[in-house]
Amino acid sequence: MATVQLKNIKKVYPYISGEQKKSKKKADDAPKKKINLQITDEGVVAVQQFSLDIADKEFIVLVGPSGCGKSTTLRMVAGLEEITDGELIIDGKLVNDIPPKDRDIAMVFQNYALYPHMTVYENMAFSLKLRHVPKDEIDKKVKEAAEILDITQYLNRKPKALSGGQRQRVAIGRAIVRAPKVMLMDEPLSNLDAKLRNEMRAEIIKLRKRIDTTFIYVTHDQTEAMTLGDRIVIMKDGYIQQIGTPQEVFNHPANLFVAGFIGMPVMNFFDANLVREGSKYFVEVGGYRTELAPEKEERLLNNDVQSQPVTLGVRPEHTDVSDSGVAATVEVAEMMGSSVHLHVNADGHDVIIIVPTIEMKGNYEMGDIVHFSFQGNVAHVFSKDTEKNLEF
Amino acid sequence: MSKDNGSSVTYKIFSFVVLIILAFLFIFPLYWIITGMFKPPAVINSPTPQWWPHEWTMRNITELFSRRTAPLFSEIALRVPGALRWLINTVFMAIMAMILTCITAAMAGYALAKKRFIGRTFLFSLIVAAMALPKQVILVPLVREISALGLYDNIWAVILPTVGWPFGVFLMKQFSEGIPGEMLEAARIDGASELKTFTSVVIPMIKPGIGALAIFTFINSWNDYFLQLIMLTSNSNLTISLGIATMQAENSTDFGLIMAGAALAAVPIIIVFLLFQKYFTKGITMGAVKG
Repeated sequence: MATVQLKNIKKVYPYISGEQKKSKKKADDAPKKKINLQITDEGVVAVQQFSLDIADKEFIVLVGPSGCGKSTTLRMVAGLEEITDGELIIDGKLVNDIPPKDRDIAMVFQNYALYPHMTVYENMAFSLKLRHVPKDEIDKKVKEAAEILDITQYLNRKPKALSGGQRQRVAIGRAIVRAPKVMLMDEPLSNLDAKLRNEMRAEIIKLRKRIDTTFIYVTHDQTEAMTLGDRIVIMKDGYIQQIGTPQEVFNHPANLFVAGFIGMPVMNFFDANLVREGSKYFVEVGGYRTELAPEKEERLLNNDVQSQPVTLGVRPEHTDVSDSGVAATVEVAEMMGSSVHLHVNADGHDVIIIVPTIEMKGNYEMGDIVHFSFQGNVAHVFSKDTEKNLEF
Repeated sequence: MSKDNGSSVTYKIFSFVVLIILAFLFIFPLYWIITGMFKPPAVINSPTPQWWPHEWTMRNITELFSRRTAPLFSEIALRVPGALRWLINTVFMAIMAMILTCITAAMAGYALAKKRFIGRTFLFSLIVAAMALPKQVILVPLVREISALGLYDNIWAVILPTVGWPFGVFLMKQFSEGIPGEMLEAARIDGASELKTFTSVVIPMIKPGIGALAIFTFINSWNDYFLQLIMLTSNSNLTISLGIATMQAENSTDFGLIMAGAALAAVPIIIVFLLFQKYFTKGITMGAVKG
């Protein structure tokens, strides 16, 4: 249990002699692949301007696409990577130069990283033994942790005799047995199949209630981020894009990237016009016009936003099939059980509309013309130039 | 029977015949030495070979252990037959070479595989290049170095040059590459020091590799006649193969005695090989696949 503060953290991987030219060349050759890496004269910049205050017992999720710097950030907190610049404070103590073992943290790795030659018991007891904890206390702690994770019957087995889910429980057990101040998890569920991942996600939520410590959790899966985190930190290209509760980032995405990254299916985007008429704001897209909700208008007014072409974002679940509105052609109708995901093409833009099955008036066929509309309280307007949400 | 089955049977018969001939060619000298050590000198030297000894004798063996005596250990007055002393020397040499090579190669291989330091690639290239260097090339500087250290005609003169065997480092590096980086990081977070990580996590994980290297080193050191010939001269410091060679020079006609000596030199190594055969082949194949 501890607070964690990251103050303007920066991570640069310096070049090893002769590598600079190679990296620059590679970046030029494959701009699409290396798009997340920023090649500078000092090296490859992985994380920058990362500032975050994590409260005691808070569950923070770092989320973003591959190469966004989330794992690097976690590894810096763990002490596995040196911090190039900035301050890392755990429980009020600057720990930049303190080795991992003295930071009182524990970490769960994506590929479990269990010691294959040790039994489950020995794996869990290893860190305690190194700290010269008395034998009977080790025994008590390991058995308690095994009880919490329901792995008591496997204590004498070697990791190779366990399934993926059981191994991940052991890895978590190894971490909680020490009762660390901060628990770090680096994509712990990525190696599990979809069903097991859902189960383990629920287990982590329960675990969190039982062990009551500060968590920093890294994932690229936005569903995990939304379900687990008290707050989510969305990252891209080494920068924080937005920090907020799951509800905040879902309802008020700070920019186009966050809007597209959070939510499944992804948000629909349109080229639209924002029209200001006195203190009122309207959006116009494909002949459809609607007024924004009063709270949105107030924020736009505070920012003195003028009429301008914008990127309009509306989530599929907030897009309704209606008699009038934007005209679109049906391309695919995916039956999901409780709803149908209708993929339509509106003036060259791919749009997804979620239609609840009970509201369906008939079947949709490819080539059908439908109209869709949305309410003013669910429309997000983003600047064409900066891609920022104009409400911010 | 289909055509395919017919050709596969022919192929099998052909391979068996070839394998049997090859096996015979390899086993025959061993058979000849082992039976030869129990034959009387007249039979061995007779122009008509006796494939199986009609008359068995222990004379060659008793003769081997009654010739020349040497102190059991360097400072001890108790004198034992030279052959016994040579055997002790050889076992000591092979075991020390094995232990020291395994320790140094495992450490160096792990460092080269898992640690990042300036000149790592260069150092590894140097080691690989050293693998291609024939022993004869470094002989003169090696003898001078050993003499300067005051180790000439000392059993350590044949142990120390084999330690730091480039192939050993190479093999251990290949094995260490297979250790996931996260496992070492987990050990660091668990609070293991560098040494503890090496002994508690790395060594158990590269154990099959160490097993293979141990056998390789033992056999290599045992059979390294050339280095022993250059470095060792006095009777009490000889190894078994050198001892047999000196006997051959002294008793060029007593083949029974020489065969007894040769059997004494060959049998331990065959036993070691048979016991650790699994590690031996595993070491070769793993090095091949990962290299």
